[in-house]
Amino acid sequence: MVSLYLDTHRSVIVFALYKDEKLWKKKEILSPMDHSMILIPSLKEFLEENHLKVEDLSDLVVVTGPGSFTGVRLGVTIAKTLSYSLNIPIRGLTSLECFLPIEEKNVYLSIPEKNGYFIGKLDEKKITKYLYLSKDEFAELKQINKVLENLEINYETLIQEAHKKETMNPHQVNPFYVKKIEVEK
Amino acid sequence: MNDVLILAIETSCDETSMAIVKNGHEVLSLTVLTQMDTHANFGGVVPEIASRMHTENITMVLDETLRKANMKVSDVSAIAVTYAPGLLGSLLVGVECAKTLALVYHKPLIAVNHTMGHIYANNIESEITFPTLALIVSGGHTDLLILKSETEMELLGSTIDDSIGEVYDKVARVLGMPYPGGPQIEKSSLLGEDAYELPHPMQDDTYNFSFSGLKSYIINLVHNERQRKNEIRINDLAKSFQIVAVDELVRKVEKAMKNTGIKNMILAGGVSANKYLRSEMEKLSQKYGVHFHVPNILYCTDNAAMIGCAAYPLYKAQKFSSFDLNAKSSENIKTYIEKEK
Repeated sequence: MVSLYLDTHRSVIVFALYKDEKLWKKKEILSPMDHSMILIPSLKEFLEENHLKVEDLSDLVVVTGPGSFTGVRLGVTIAKTLSYSLNIPIRGLTSLECFLPIEEKNVYLSIPEKNGYFIGKLDEKKITKYLYLSKDEFAELKQINKVLENLEINYETLIQEAHKKETMNPHQVNPFYVKKIEVEK
Repeated sequence: MNDVLILAIETSCDETSMAIVKNGHEVLSLTVLTQMDTHANFGGVVPEIASRMHTENITMVLDETLRKANMKVSDVSAIAVTYAPGLLGSLLVGVECAKTLALVYHKPLIAVNHTMGHIYANNIESEITFPTLALIVSGGHTDLLILKSETEMELLGSTIDDSIGEVYDKVARVLGMPYPGGPQIEKSSLLGEDAYELPHPMQDDTYNFSFSGLKSYIINLVHNERQRKNEIRINDLAKSFQIVAVDELVRKVEKAMKNTGIKNMILAGGVSANKYLRSEMEKLSQKYGVHFHVPNILYCTDNAAMIGCAAYPLYKAQKFSSFDLNAKSSENIKTYIEKEK
């Protein structure tokens, strides 16, 4: 059982391999400009370094966002194409779910973004609500609620959190944008 | 040589399309998922929405394309993809999908310029005879070329401002017609008379085109008439506009026919679906004894079959791309010709 984790939602791309749910290899790549130029070459290299072929993968976990629109789109496109063509299970994990498990109750999780914050509301150890807040709105939220900032991903336990989610039909795996674009407002 | 089967992917604008093409001309299957109805709500293509819809639909379009041909990706000889020009975010979805398939199935990756795709649509149900004049008319391009062979071409002229497709869309918009404007103008013009006197652009010695003067003239005319509360005879104006716009194309092609003596002519690009343009080019070709060809309307608008056709000469020349291929939004035909030299 070799699981591949793929995260492209920010400028640092993360690949990780899990063997029977144990973290086996992890690689972080700072993408200086275009994710597109380096994503497939570095994925190929990452697998080769670990003497794996794509056919050896048994399931996929992809971070669906929120984060860079183009970043998640590329990651999700690669992941759903891999899952469809290799016929292996795929699961989507939001960028905020990557911080789970968190034991605290009634808290908000946050990820900073250029002009604001992506927020997840934690209820019963699950994220039940997602928001995009401006910096001012974020300051207001912090006055009334407990907001966790500068969270770190625990890569050791990440895969168990991911595997708690249902597998998806690759056609149904889509980016999770949260932030509205001009025409949606 | 064994049959060459190419799986082609096209996502440069608002159509998610894939096709399997045999030996550069036989379309074994083609899927075109258009987002036109979605973008019509906004009066034009919204790039971010286009990219989102490509990502949502890409594997379903792949699945349908394979099923229609009763094939697996492992059966094809190469994966071809449009890498330029177009909307960057949209192109990237196709490019990333193509690279992933090439990685999984160990197939060569072929990067195809979208404009070359429009040209090679003329190889479906026919065969391009070289040398040939080629007029490319679409929402992004208005180019007149000489194709000397599969690998050699010369650019005679291009638009110096708006493309013909853009002008159709903008004139349609000011006349209150829904997006996309081309088919609407054509429909409306059939009901009108050529009763408006409009300026004919670019009376010069080059093969270049210009449409912005005509566009501005019509926009000003419509605004002025509305201010004076005069009626605008939409059908008449659509007809007069179409006559002048197509005449701009015809005059430059006629000059090229006269000066080069080339006896083949092909039309390509989304606007080549326009029936008036097709018939005027046909008439012109007859006058000069030129063999004229235009693709079936199905292959004029954006589709992956044409990308599979354009990939075939590249496959034969073993012009494969590496996995660091990037999408380019603005590589026009001139840049492409320079690069290929």
